[in-house]
Amino acid sequence: MGVWQRLWFLALAAWAALLPLGGAESWPEIQRRGVLRWGNDAEGGAPYIYHDPQDADRLIGFEVEFAEALAEQLGLKSQFVQNNWDLLVPALGDGSKFDVIIAGLERTPENLGKIAMSRPYFAFGQQLVVRIGTTNVTSLAELKGQAVGVLSSSSSHRLAEAPGNLEVRIYQDNVNYFRDLELGRLDAVLTDSPIAQVNLEGNALLKKAGATFDPGYYAVGVRSEDPLLLAQVNEAIAALAAAGTLERIYAQYGLGGAEQRALVTWKDAGGPVRGRISVWRDWRVYLPILLRASVTTVWVTCCGMILAVALGLFLALTRLYGPAPARWLAVAYIEVFRGTPLLLQIYFIYFGLAQQMGLKLTAGMAAVVSLGLNYAANEAENYRGGIQGVPRGQMEAALALGMSRFLALKRVILPQALRISLPSITNDFIAMFKDSSIVSVIALVELTKEYQIRAIDTGDYIGLGLMTAGIYFIISYTASLGARRLERRLHRDSR
Amino acid sequence: MIRVEQLSKSYAGRSVLRGVDHCQAAGESVVVLGSSGCGKTTFLRCLNHLETADTGRITVGDVTIEGGTVVAAERQRQLRLRAGMVFQQFHLFPHRTAMENVMEGPRQVQGRGVEEVEAFARELLAKVGLSEHAKHFPAQLSGGQQQRVAIARALALRPQVLLLDEPTSSLDPQLREEVRVVLRQLAEEGMTMLLVTHDLRLARQVADRVVFFDDGRIAESGPTEQMFQSPMQACTREFLQHIEG
Repeated sequence: MGVWQRLWFLALAAWAALLPLGGAESWPEIQRRGVLRWGNDAEGGAPYIYHDPQDADRLIGFEVEFAEALAEQLGLKSQFVQNNWDLLVPALGDGSKFDVIIAGLERTPENLGKIAMSRPYFAFGQQLVVRIGTTNVTSLAELKGQAVGVLSSSSSHRLAEAPGNLEVRIYQDNVNYFRDLELGRLDAVLTDSPIAQVNLEGNALLKKAGATFDPGYYAVGVRSEDPLLLAQVNEAIAALAAAGTLERIYAQYGLGGAEQRALVTWKDAGGPVRGRISVWRDWRVYLPILLRASVTTVWVTCCGMILAVALGLFLALTRLYGPAPARWLAVAYIEVFRGTPLLLQIYFIYFGLAQQMGLKLTAGMAAVVSLGLNYAANEAENYRGGIQGVPRGQMEAALALGMSRFLALKRVILPQALRISLPSITNDFIAMFKDSSIVSVIALVELTKEYQIRAIDTGDYIGLGLMTAGIYFIISYTASLGARRLERRLHRDSR
Repeated sequence: MIRVEQLSKSYAGRSVLRGVDHCQAAGESVVVLGSSGCGKTTFLRCLNHLETADTGRITVGDVTIEGGTVVAAERQRQLRLRAGMVFQQFHLFPHRTAMENVMEGPRQVQGRGVEEVEAFARELLAKVGLSEHAKHFPAQLSGGQQQRVAIARALALRPQVLLLDEPTSSLDPQLREEVRVVLRQLAEEGMTMLLVTHDLRLARQVADRVVFFDDGRIAESGPTEQMFQSPMQACTREFLQHIEG
């Protein structure tokens, strides 16, 4: 998904969440239907929700089993609804897509400010993970100045940022930070205990460091307008906990223990509820944050484009004027890089090269190299079109003056080809500017990722979305104005 | 000044030139006539190696190249510096002014000093009557003006020979005269010129000698007036009648 689609989708989802469409209670409707629809993201992974290795069509995981037990307790059938994890809360909306969220959603003041939450069905702690050889690390305090990987917008993320002296690297998923820890790009990973539990099983390179801390709870997310449903869910969870059903489910995944048993006697202690933050009122806080993130976007794009232009020119000239084998290589390069997804190339360059060849690029370098190599293929074709758009007679006239082919290209052909190619180059620059959001998959926080983090944090998708879109627009519009001026200067000769 | 011996060339099995011999003294102007496809343009382009001959030998001034051999880049450059070329479609560099077009060769290829080249370029533009247009871009000039800049550009290299490929045929009839005037003056100054053209008035004005091409060979050759008044060969007579209408 491009940035713009993503922004639009988020804005629309947020809009839907804000509209007071779902005023009515949904419990009677659910009972009539006989089905409890629960939202989660099947990409969550083990042990939460994942595809059975024996039967790829079947979903398993402790959340799946909990959802089924909960539905049964309520006298209903269970139905899973797929939704992007980041967008579960806004997507709950008016309840038309699914009735509840069962997706490792934490009972945090932020979440309680946006939706209603049940009593907890699962208890967990924060677990620090390090490489086997690491000693003397048992808590975040010993990691001062070192690189710690966390999941974006999770409790771990908040905890790691709190001391302010760690280099926090933000990941989109629960798998890649373990790869980077193995490769030595990170010094530690802070994650929820179930994730550590599953990923360290059979892993000879990593180990837990210190005990779990900062207990947290997963709870079922319910629409604020649904107190009846909430009461039913609370009652059912209490019954499942008392009967030992919850602990039995978790024990199958190695997640049982005293913490889970304590859920039986859990009481809501009240505690803070954070309301929706208005980003407009606090623009002095959020605008600088977004602008800082846009610096990353701009430098990744500029460096990527410089690489793409230089390599693209080399490829175009090789394809047009090189000896036969070099020509084939250039064509092969162009077709391969144009014909495969950028995301795949980023993973290949960042993880693949590090694992297979020991070439450990930093996230920033990997981003620039991937964007540059990918766009070089486009640029090469642009320039080839431009060069072929220059009339043949120009080359002959240059040769007739005694110029070498190289000098003729430099003095006569390329200046004219540039004029023809410039609009496409501008286009590619703006496209790359927006495509650069994809580099957030390798833990580089650029503008779109920063937006996502802050939007989930504050619940204000629209205010932040407009601010972010505004920054994107101003930068890309400035770039295209600059390109137009350059075009006019290059065309000063045609009257 | 120009000596061509047994020049042959074929494209994809079709013979375009079949053993052409040609000899031209310094200061002599020769016009090549012949119907379309007779090989006259290919002949001209071989002389500065825009086309490579299959066999034969070409000498311009003190540079000789052999057909069918790989010609070293330096020798090719020397040949082209001695044989300036003017194209039917001018082929001026559109991104450079008239002045810059004229200066391009001497500055970039011959590496001559900027002051000398600039003075010389002004002199050449004055000679073709375009002093006022030095700062104009090609798109701002008429066809006749563009062709005169192109002639100045070719002369800027101080060539020993000027090759002209139909220099007036893409111009409107009323613009042709301004190019003819320039070429007539060059001929009078003793420039060695080899022209391919269908413009008989131009031929009469500048040529000392006419060479008539037919099917890749020289069919007939002689002083200009004699060729126009009493051509020996039937094909020449037919061609002249046809073209003069």
